[in-house]
Amino acid sequence: MSLDERPGLPVEPGEDTLQPSSRIPWWRAVWGDRMGRVGLVLVIVVLALVVVGPMIFPFAASSFGLSANSILQPPSGGHWLGTDELGRDVFRQVLVGGQISLLVGLSATAIAMVVGAGLGLVSGYYAGWRDNVLMRITDFFLVLPTLPLIIALAALLGQSVVITSLVIGLTSWPQTTRIIRSQVLSLRERPLVLRVRSLGATDRRTIWVHIFPNVSPLIFANLVLVLAGAILSEASLAFLGLGDPVHVSWGTMLHFAFTSGAMSRGAWWYVLPPGIGIVILVLGFSLVGHSLDRILNPQSRGAR
Amino acid sequence: MRDFGLTRRRFLNLTAATAGVLATPLLLDGCSSLAGKPTASTSAGAKTGTLRVGWTSEPDILNPFTFTSSAASEIIALVYDTLLSYGPDRNAVPGLATEGTYSTDQKSITYKLRSGVTWHDGTPFSADDVKFSWDTISKNNLGQAAQYLADLVSVTVTDPSTVVAAFKRPQAFDPALIIPIVPKHIWSTMSADAIQKDPNAKPVGTGPYTFTEWKPGQYVSVARNEKWWGTAPSASALTWVHFDSADVMTQSLVAGDVDVLTEVPPLLWDGLKSSANVKPIEMESYSFHHIGINVSNDPKSGGNKLLLDKNVRQALSCSLDRSQLVQLALAGHGLPGSVLLPAAFGELQLQIPAAEQLNANVAKGNALLDAAGYRKGSDGMRVSPGGKRLSFRLIAIQATDVDVRAAQLFVSAAASVGIKLTLQTVDETTMGNVVYNAAAPNWDLFVWGWDSSTPDPDYLLGVPLTSQIGNNNDVYYSNTTYDGLYEQQATTVDAAARLALVQQMQRMYYDECAYLVMWYQSKLQAYRTDTWKGWVSIPGGMVFNFTRSNYLGVTPV
Amino acid sequence: MSVRYLARKVFSLAVTLYAVATFNFLLFHVLPGNPVRLMARAGHLDPAAVAQLKQLFGLDRSLPIQYLIYLRDLIQGNLGFSYVYRQPVTTVLGPAIRNTILLLGTATLLTIVVGVGLGVIAGARANSRTDTSVVVSSLVLWSLPTFWTGMILIFICGVWFHLLPISGINTLGYSFTSLGHLVDLGKHLILPTLTLALVNVAEFALITRSSLVDVMSEDYMVTARAKGLRRRVIVWRHGVRNALLPIVTATALYMGLVLGGAIQVEAVFSWPGMGLLSYKAVLSRDYPVLEASFLIFAVAVIIMNFASDLLYRALDPRVRQS
Repeated sequence: MSLDERPGLPVEPGEDTLQPSSRIPWWRAVWGDRMGRVGLVLVIVVLALVVVGPMIFPFAASSFGLSANSILQPPSGGHWLGTDELGRDVFRQVLVGGQISLLVGLSATAIAMVVGAGLGLVSGYYAGWRDNVLMRITDFFLVLPTLPLIIALAALLGQSVVITSLVIGLTSWPQTTRIIRSQVLSLRERPLVLRVRSLGATDRRTIWVHIFPNVSPLIFANLVLVLAGAILSEASLAFLGLGDPVHVSWGTMLHFAFTSGAMSRGAWWYVLPPGIGIVILVLGFSLVGHSLDRILNPQSRGAR
Repeated sequence: MRDFGLTRRRFLNLTAATAGVLATPLLLDGCSSLAGKPTASTSAGAKTGTLRVGWTSEPDILNPFTFTSSAASEIIALVYDTLLSYGPDRNAVPGLATEGTYSTDQKSITYKLRSGVTWHDGTPFSADDVKFSWDTISKNNLGQAAQYLADLVSVTVTDPSTVVAAFKRPQAFDPALIIPIVPKHIWSTMSADAIQKDPNAKPVGTGPYTFTEWKPGQYVSVARNEKWWGTAPSASALTWVHFDSADVMTQSLVAGDVDVLTEVPPLLWDGLKSSANVKPIEMESYSFHHIGINVSNDPKSGGNKLLLDKNVRQALSCSLDRSQLVQLALAGHGLPGSVLLPAAFGELQLQIPAAEQLNANVAKGNALLDAAGYRKGSDGMRVSPGGKRLSFRLIAIQATDVDVRAAQLFVSAAASVGIKLTLQTVDETTMGNVVYNAAAPNWDLFVWGWDSSTPDPDYLLGVPLTSQIGNNNDVYYSNTTYDGLYEQQATTVDAAARLALVQQMQRMYYDECAYLVMWYQSKLQAYRTDTWKGWVSIPGGMVFNFTRSNYLGVTPV
Repeated sequence: MSVRYLARKVFSLAVTLYAVATFNFLLFHVLPGNPVRLMARAGHLDPAAVAQLKQLFGLDRSLPIQYLIYLRDLIQGNLGFSYVYRQPVTTVLGPAIRNTILLLGTATLLTIVVGVGLGVIAGARANSRTDTSVVVSSLVLWSLPTFWTGMILIFICGVWFHLLPISGINTLGYSFTSLGHLVDLGKHLILPTLTLALVNVAEFALITRSSLVDVMSEDYMVTARAKGLRRRVIVWRHGVRNALLPIVTATALYMGLVLGGAIQVEAVFSWPGMGLLSYKAVLSRDYPVLEASFLIFAVAVIIMNFASDLLYRALDPRVRQS
């Protein structure tokens, strides 16, 4: 779990209710769910704006103002969302900043998933002492307060997109490990898996062919939530001044807004847009995650 | 001294003394009266008689021997007295000594002490306290003040109201102006180690204010010493309120929660112009911010060797538009930088003819690099004749907003001449560690500043000296010609001859481009007009300056 | 609760605490930056003076020796000496811990009361319009970055309408009666508390709701409803009581995460607590303060987890029977 991720959206495996992955594809299931549909739309809209936006909209990437009169100007025809403390176009910054936020979120999530799911598979499949040791370590990291840990690591390693991704990724895996492991533990006792193993299939093949496909929907559902958390984590870290100062993310924008005096100048156009970007993106992913959770845990379907 | 506040005050004291008379202070709000008891007032601040100062600083320690921050200096200067101190126009005025007289050979100073002075705890002040304070610093090489007593031979109490300090060499600067006098009865029981480590949580001095409370991260407060020997100040208490955000601090001034601010960032300062009952003040400062380039010849230096080529450094200088920097980073509150001496130095500052300036001239920068054989690669970044990319590391202190802004602009400016810069922001400690690691300086470029606050060029011109490597010389510049010129100007008495030397040195260092001076910034402060009056604008600042005169002089509205 | 269970739990708590202490040491003794230089920088100390300072702060020993000294000091309750404040870390931390407990205590209380309340309202009427709007607004709140929420509140309450104080813990330069002081403190507490509650309320609302929904579908609840018991009675007397267990677990988990929120909120509102202190300690590389704050954060979370384990066991009827 990551620092700003609040544990309100647990993706717990339902006991023996795991759906075979061969059913309808996840996006159709999510699309069929009202909340999931809204989430998908939000994510797609932000993605489109952030990825395609900079190519369509005309403002130059980092064109600074020329005089003090170009600093923190309110929205106008030339600058739809006004200017920042260096006279740059805020709208353009928001589009480009979103790319960095997304990039960090995605890379951190990828790291967290590889580590988290990997350890979960190994731990659950082999059980025994390996499981014991791994779970001890996982529980230890699970209990560490994440933001203080991330701050310390970021301060230690420096500030760049790569380091931020690494730090967030390497602190976001324990929850995933826990969830995957408990699912794998129940899967390995299933008659099919037991028979395959008794017939002499290698561990690697068993895991890859029989276990992994069965936990992959769970991994995916978890991934979406970790991603939402990672985006929030990056924003918090950057806001505290530990983000990459050149590759400006939404969090870094808010850091500069807070420290440059945008607040008392009443520069709402500088403070609102990056925050709204974060909220929409995180909300989109958590709606999708929530919806996946319902699909994977149909026993609480009527409920959730 | 470094422009991040750590040692600024200390140096100010020294240099202002050697400098002699400075600019005439500007009187604001009519006459500044040093006399007068607090009067009843309806405004919030004066109602309780407390003058509330807002700052983003925090004292490091209130130990008068070992403190290093300007914030601690501000408080210690009001709780403790010195033998002599500074008036509002930076002349020496009596302190615990009514006078200090130099011997004819300038090697000893005789101080006549004030009688009837008591410490805040009621113990009478005596000449022994003076001897103890000076001796403790001198014998234990204690704290920064020790350097001013390096030549001290002895301190002798000749009679209960006379102290004589004898030195090895003639002293241009009188240390009495800066050494706080501490009570012997409190400190003499401690070992030198204990004194060094002592947090001095309850400072006891003879000054105009007695220490009340310090809540780290919140505030420091002092209360008027009703038994002080001088004219009683109007404010019955002073509180320095700490803010973590300059923005919130500024809003608090507007809301009336504080009366005066020590330092206001440019954008916020501009915002104050339209606020009711708030007066923003812009004062000259003897400071600049610059880009330093690692020019160390030492094989152990980790700096990129391509920066040893003057063409590369000059091209970087040409890429910078200093007017734009002043406009954007300082919102116009300052002057574009060029040579080592800020504009406040007047005629001492060398004017570089427009045609010879290495500023805002991308074409010239590109021409320099083309001529030197640096070819542009496919990505627009240049490659040296030896096949190395012109790609350098740039560091700036994160907490110094203006530097981070300047660095962002510099990254894009350098790209315009085909030089790639990678910006990394660091904390002050790391900056100091990395830059001053004289054994193996592993960095390429930094953004930082110097604050001289003196019209004497000696200090700033001394920064690039070979002998200052490991000390002030942060770019490891070394040039025997320059060093020779420095020695020469220091012993040249004739003003015109010295001026020529001083200007020659500035020109030389300008062309070397080891320093790219970006700007000479203004000192921006602000106060409320409905609570306290009589604020005097002083170069260097109304408050947070070497003189405590504004604290003693303001009266309730 | 058996003695054996308790002993096992206490042992595991001790092991975890030791592991955290060691991790803390490793983490902070590899951070770069030499604090002696920080002090030396001002006056350009000679090597002898630097050595003296190093000795004073114990930095001249080898890492293993420093580790042993660290453990010994920890046991003695000595958290070291702050480089920046030049005071024992415990002295620096004291008021900060108090302020953070005040802030987090108030915020947690508000969060749980409002969160559980919302969760019950939604869970009792699963799939109704009310339910959906509670779930959706919870998700929106969950998506708010803590610091940004604080900034928005500052905009609304501080910049546009001067309603509430936006910084610090009390107004300075005023002398108050004790009641006046309390009122002033309360005013300063409002915005930081509100920020934390806003972003964290979702968690309790969602967990309460889903466990209540689960409980409501149990046979005995269906029976109770069939017997014609009043809805409110069923929900509160049976439903909520049985939905309590997940809330206990959630609270322990929440404690670990709300600390992250506290750092942001304290930074935005300059609330002089542990969050602000540890953040500033990172910037000035004040190792002892950093070590101590991280340790205290970690220990607080570990103890909360321990307490919630015990509470869970005490509350859970299935565990009690066995």
